[in-house]
Amino acid sequence: MAHSLAAAASSFSPPAARRRLPGQVTNVISRRSSVSFNSQRISFMSIRSRPSQLRFKICCSAKKETVDKVCNIVKTQLALPEGTAVTGESKFSELGADSLDTVEIVMGLEEEFNITVDETSAQDIATVQDAANLIEKLVLEKAA
Amino acid sequence: MASRSKLSGIQRQVLALYRGFLRTARLKSPEERHRIESVVSAEFRENARNIDRKNFVYIEYLLRRGKKQLEQLKDPDITGLSTLEINKVYKPLNLK
Repeated sequence: MAHSLAAAASSFSPPAARRRLPGQVTNVISRRSSVSFNSQRISFMSIRSRPSQLRFKICCSAKKETVDKVCNIVKTQLALPEGTAVTGESKFSELGADSLDTVEIVMGLEEEFNITVDETSAQDIATVQDAANLIEKLVLEKAA
Repeated sequence: MASRSKLSGIQRQVLALYRGFLRTARLKSPEERHRIESVVSAEFRENARNIDRKNFVYIEYLLRRGKKQLEQLKDPDITGLSTLEINKVYKPLNLK
């Protein structure tokens, strides 16, 4: 089975920068080209400041509280060092997660938020923001 | 939008099996759950490192065996790791 993930390059015209959440870390990992990672932890030499947030989808943004919880679970699950920058834009693959790690993250999120993520949805999760958006959608559906 | 390449069918099967083990582990006692998760994680990762991803015959064999082991583990009366068959092809996992 594959333990390396290819992050597909995507060309798009991002909408105007959206409001930055107060206190949000501005350093993010950003890569534009197609890359392939093995399961080794990636060094953060590539961290750079990015002036605006880019969003891949136009959709209601998950609450900051949800994003923060997801970030914490991701840090715990991947045993990231303290001070690692994990934001809504962080990609699991760029944080060093292979596909097994991603399964574990999703399982951890299910327990934390008391939801069930079906496998099709789980496959589409690539960033913290993706996870947070899906979680809030599922929580709302469950409440209905 | 998906920003990673699509997983192949067999990759999805492996991840589904892994997820099945993690779900079943939740139903056990906390201590046992932790042990199951450690063993399962180590074995999946070891196989990921050591098996040629194009060796479909062997991968499918492991998938079938894993599904049988998972079905056994789902039995509520089974509480121990002794039901998990250690893969003899590689160095046995060091269990306490």
